[in-house]
Amino acid sequence: MPRVMICGDLVWAHKECEEMFKGVADIVVMDSSNRADFLTNLKSGGKYEGIVGLYRHNISADSIGVFDKEIINALVPSVKWIAHNGAGYDQIDVQACKENGIFVSNTPGAVDDATATTALYLMISALRQYSKAERDVRAGLWKSQLRSGNAHDATGRTLAILGLGGIGMRLAELAHAFPMRIVYHNRRKVEDAPAWCEYFPAERLDEMLSIADVLSVHVPLKKETEGLVGEKMIRTLKKGAIIVNTARGKVIDEGAMIRALEDGHLGAVGIDVYPNEPDVNPRLFEFPNATLLPHMGTETCDSQKKMEIRALTNLRDFLVKGKGSDIVPEMTPKSRM
Amino acid sequence: MDSPDRTHFLADLKPGGKYEKIVGIFRKNSSAVRIGVFDKEIIYSLAEVGVKWIAHCGAGYDKIDILACKEKDISVSNTPGAVDDATATTALYLMISSLRQFSKAERDVREGLWKSRLSSANAFDMTGRTLAILGLGGIGMRLAELAHVFPMRIVYHNRRKRDDVPDWCEYFPEDRLNEMLGITDVLSIHVPLRKETEGFVGDKMIRALKKGAIIVKTARGKVIDEDAMIEALEDGHLGSVGLDVHPNEPKLNPRILELPQVTLLPHVGTATFDSQKNMELRALNNLRDFLVKGRGIDVVPEML
Repeated sequence: MPRVMICGDLVWAHKECEEMFKGVADIVVMDSSNRADFLTNLKSGGKYEGIVGLYRHNISADSIGVFDKEIINALVPSVKWIAHNGAGYDQIDVQACKENGIFVSNTPGAVDDATATTALYLMISALRQYSKAERDVRAGLWKSQLRSGNAHDATGRTLAILGLGGIGMRLAELAHAFPMRIVYHNRRKVEDAPAWCEYFPAERLDEMLSIADVLSVHVPLKKETEGLVGEKMIRTLKKGAIIVNTARGKVIDEGAMIRALEDGHLGAVGIDVYPNEPDVNPRLFEFPNATLLPHMGTETCDSQKKMEIRALTNLRDFLVKGKGSDIVPEMTPKSRM
Repeated sequence: MDSPDRTHFLADLKPGGKYEKIVGIFRKNSSAVRIGVFDKEIIYSLAEVGVKWIAHCGAGYDKIDILACKEKDISVSNTPGAVDDATATTALYLMISSLRQFSKAERDVREGLWKSRLSSANAFDMTGRTLAILGLGGIGMRLAELAHVFPMRIVYHNRRKRDDVPDWCEYFPEDRLNEMLGITDVLSIHVPLRKETEGFVGDKMIRALKKGAIIVKTARGKVIDEDAMIEALEDGHLGSVGLDVHPNEPKLNPRILELPQVTLLPHVGTATFDSQKNMELRALNNLRDFLVKGRGIDVVPEML
């Protein structure tokens, strides 16, 4: 039977994993505490020898680091599939995988609900100034430092979605219930989006930013999107606008965002992700109008389990059918985004 | 009204005082900070001046002695509708925060702990879970709309079934209340505070909820028996709670501050520029309608 590796322990789907791979593959669990040990054991005679595919979770980076060229090269030639658990796969050098004939899948869909709910929460918190309100009430200040002039209803306001993928669209659904006006920018118009999602192409991006009350970021992190939300974009937003980020920290130019909070151009921010997690720039703690979470986007037992099963299914489908269904866009001929 | 305290206020209501001959009042709860609540003493004094209408700014009017007003033939109006959106949004926020443990998550990240003390085992998605609404008035129905979009299953208990609500709002009458509580993941409280509702959500109701259930409170603090709630949090019967209102505002029970799984707000349910303005306009319209037409539209239910 072929061998596959679990790289980053399963938490919820042990039973499902057993059932799915019974008679299909032998499973070896990655238990190296550092990269050197991992690389050694991938070689002939090592405990990970001959694996043809693997399930990967970002937690494995704590012991062996990210899947950069060095690791990808060590996986060659036996590994043909990396089933990543998560929507964001910026910790995998996809280019190196392509060059070496290794397919990568992620877990779109399974992350949408929990992440969009996190974005909704951050948006409400930022609009209503709830982070400061809770800190104040816990400090015995009641609402003495709060002003309703700084707090706004969501209803009737405009939410701009940067990147209308699965997560962005789910947030649009939830926000449209108030209703909020939904506008979006995407590399291409999303043809199957409802009519109330108003598309703004590149040449009208500035126009979109200037009418946005809330800008929510939902683009993946790549070379082209690093610092995408920078000084120029931020200053094009109307004064008092709010930014919500549940995508990846590096998509926003943190320095530009901080300056805009200092001078009041931005009304508030709701942040779940940071450029150098788990480090958080302590400057962010100084702003009373910042709501901060430690990358909680998919942290529910329901979604964690769904994501594990989705990734394992991709791996199993590779073994049984030759390919999983969630190949990352960079490796598919056509792409939604 | 600019009196620094009740004594001055009552003095200025008398003939020759600066408030003599007023026939109507726009009232906000913030006035209680200086002159106290509108109890018998104030109501009787207002009656003597000739006041016939109190246009209260807010949905909850528990700070006005309605019986005394009725006795003295003073009408009272509140501001239903104008509060619904902002308050329901607050309830939605508290519900998400409680289910996801976001309050603790933020406190921890601000202390440099990242998510080391958190486990997804204690955090849940909204979608597919059951929200029980206690009191399907304007605010309860607005919350139902916002929650139904996930979708959450919406069940409710009300003194009477509402025939003007969508089919997906499932009614549970008095004799099925325990059944409703037994299937509830989140119980959100939307009943006004009166003698009959004080401590309404007590030990019996709390224990009828399934283990791990969540309570959200944006109504009035005293509707929940706070000690029963705290015990249920301490022994884990309740998974968490989200509270905007508290029995003895602005003071909080110190035991609540020690529970890491709780989300707390300082009664900011309607604290937005938009809603505050809408509420003020609504109350002023009630007062104006009283003067021009003889009565405002939002007379409180007890006086209809």
